[in-house]
Amino acid sequence: MHKYILRRLLLLIPVILGVTFLVFTIMYFTPGDPAKLILGESAQPAQVEALREEMGLNDPFIVQYVRFITKALTGDFGRSYSTNRPVFDEVFARFPATLKLTAAAMLIAIAIGIPVGIISATKQYSALDSISMIGALIGVSMPVFWLGLMLILVFSVNLRLLPSSGSETIKHLILPAFSLGVGSAAIITRMTRSSMLEVIRQDYIRTARSKGVAEKKVVNKHALKNALIPVVTVVGLQFGGLLGGAVLTESVFSWPGVGRLMVDAIRQKDSPMVLASVVFISVTFSFVNLLVDLLYAFIDPRIKSQYR
Amino acid sequence: MFKNKKILSLVITILTLSLVLSACGGSKGITRKNPADTLVVAQGADAKSLDPHATNDQPSSRVMKQIYNTLVASTVDMEIVPALAESWESIDELTWEFKLASGVKFHNGEEFKASDVKFTYDRMLASPSVSHILGPVKEIKVVDDYTVQIITSEPFAPLLSHLTHTASSILNEKAVTASGEDYGQNPVGTGPFAFDTWQSGDRITLKASEDYFQGAAAVKTVVFRNVPEGTNRTVGLETGEVDIAYDIEPIDKNLVIDNAGLELIEGPSLSSQYLGFNTQKAPFDNVKVRQAINYAVDVQEIIDVVLEKAGEVAKSPLMELIFGSNEDIQGYSYDVEKAKELMKEAGFENGFKTSIWTNDSPVRVRIAEIVQAQLKEIGIEANIEVVEWGAFLDRTSAGEHDMFILGWTTVTGDADYGLYALYHSSQHGDAGNRFFYTNPEVDKLLDIGKTEVDTDKRLAAYKEAQEIIVADAPQLFLYFSTQNVGENKAIKGFQLHPAGHHSLYNVTIEQ
Repeated sequence: MHKYILRRLLLLIPVILGVTFLVFTIMYFTPGDPAKLILGESAQPAQVEALREEMGLNDPFIVQYVRFITKALTGDFGRSYSTNRPVFDEVFARFPATLKLTAAAMLIAIAIGIPVGIISATKQYSALDSISMIGALIGVSMPVFWLGLMLILVFSVNLRLLPSSGSETIKHLILPAFSLGVGSAAIITRMTRSSMLEVIRQDYIRTARSKGVAEKKVVNKHALKNALIPVVTVVGLQFGGLLGGAVLTESVFSWPGVGRLMVDAIRQKDSPMVLASVVFISVTFSFVNLLVDLLYAFIDPRIKSQYR
Repeated sequence: MFKNKKILSLVITILTLSLVLSACGGSKGITRKNPADTLVVAQGADAKSLDPHATNDQPSSRVMKQIYNTLVASTVDMEIVPALAESWESIDELTWEFKLASGVKFHNGEEFKASDVKFTYDRMLASPSVSHILGPVKEIKVVDDYTVQIITSEPFAPLLSHLTHTASSILNEKAVTASGEDYGQNPVGTGPFAFDTWQSGDRITLKASEDYFQGAAAVKTVVFRNVPEGTNRTVGLETGEVDIAYDIEPIDKNLVIDNAGLELIEGPSLSSQYLGFNTQKAPFDNVKVRQAINYAVDVQEIIDVVLEKAGEVAKSPLMELIFGSNEDIQGYSYDVEKAKELMKEAGFENGFKTSIWTNDSPVRVRIAEIVQAQLKEIGIEANIEVVEWGAFLDRTSAGEHDMFILGWTTVTGDADYGLYALYHSSQHGDAGNRFFYTNPEVDKLLDIGKTEVDTDKRLAAYKEAQEIIVADAPQLFLYFSTQNVGENKAIKGFQLHPAGHHSLYNVTIEQ
């Protein structure tokens, strides 16, 4: 088990190298001059040239990359082109907000998704099933920014119950977490349902029923536990995805998270900031994935026996 | 899927109910949700840095305006008035002398002295982001603690206007040295509000400075919140979470106007928008074609449709509040027949194919669409290309374009800033003249305007230069943007500054 974790952690090194190289290359070859973007529309060519020289942008690609990676290896990703703050300071300052939002959204998604999925599966083809499946379809296809704006309109503007933007209190969290969680809730519902349907037809369920085990116990204990493995995967992937991809929600609710930091950085060609946030997000994503894989072991003893 | 229609209708009812719910709702007075002496201002982006020499973007400047003072300031009517300098005079055509206010304290307790001015401007001259704002300033000389001289390498008439820019704010040497590279997050000024905290991406909090040299502000705390979504700023006003919201979106303007608890303040800005031609590329090298396009587009329609009337037709390059503007210019009116005639004279009776470049700003894209439709009337087939901002700047400065949409803000309020970079032939490309416009006569007049100390002569030169520019039509003159702010009715004393950086010093909150 420890060896397995160690091996997975070591795998992070090529991941980070690959990610930085890819992002660095893309940022390098996309059009637009960071110096010009920093200086703005009315910059004089001489100033742009001076700044390019100062930033080392006139060096060949490979020199720039090597310089970046040697510094990065010592943990120094540099300072943001636009705010001149050390980039990781900025990323770490933003991460708690993102984590809070993602965790809340996932809680909502699980709280809705798993029960609804179970009900749907046990009452297949009933009206309840149809409604929840339509609900899931709407949930998956509804643009998150639209849902966010509608929630603001109803709960902030008309009912005056919840604040529309900001991130100080728990009250601020409800609307963004809900609008972010709905999409995942829908996916989890569908996954739980199909996984349950598959399990429920297995022989051991029939055995359990024929033994006279109460239906409730059959569903919650025998079926659910076995149906959860693919659901855990989906939850893990969703969690990892939301950590880096809550950009739209963050914008609609003015939530100061990492996603928006990254998008703003991309717009401004703020390469150090983009690299730092992408590396950070990929590492977090890898960790979440590792956690999910470890979680399997606790749910499924068969998998545990493979970790040697 | 549904066993009976009842369930289907139930689902539909629930879905529509949520929409109906959102459509109703009244608009009485709006109760503020913030403490009585705390002013919450929402703007569309977070500041980048609060070091005036590190950045020149508007969100940062709007915060810095509260923290710092400049030597001289411009009023909302663009008049130049004393600030940290009590008086000034031009000693000879290269030397300006300023007498400084005494007893002014920085927020760190240090006293403001002439050495701070020298330190600040020396540092500013070394900054690639903002050194151009000091223009040809060569040297700062400290005469005594309260007297300082600014020496330029050539006569530089618009100096005072340039010193009103937030980038010319006065810094404290000790504070800058102490914070080193992190000064942008730990600013120290002499202004009415002192920096308190900054939650990156979310909010910047300022506290009123009790010993501000013009008297402490009535408001004790100012919070600048970063609310990027335009509609959400309006929502913040409606819910009472936000007291002042900058830049209300055109589509939300009526929501603010119709709301009894809110007020919309509109005023002129120093920004203009234009659709430029690459005057060195056929067929735009033909002045008749350029004039024809100016006649062919109904700019008022653009203002009405795209901006919800938040703009004024630009007849010349400079709006009226800018020193050097020429209000006698009649410009071009909407006249399709005349446009067709000019096209015929130019030899393009059957029109031609071309392209309009814009970045992804929704307003600019819509302008491009209207221009495209109207140019069809005179046979011009314009293809709209939305180009990513960085690439847009790169490629237009390389002259790869036909037509492009761009704006310019004459932040200093002086014609030199608004005309030199755009129309002087030494400024082709990157520097600002993306029309690649060349007219020796205009060059001469702009040089006079830059160096002539006599105000009347400057004014005459600029007026003439603009007449020539309008006749040469290197661009389709679009509009001067109007700026707006939405505020809770409890907020009093807020005034829009045409440069876009509004002082909050005089704002009070009514209980």
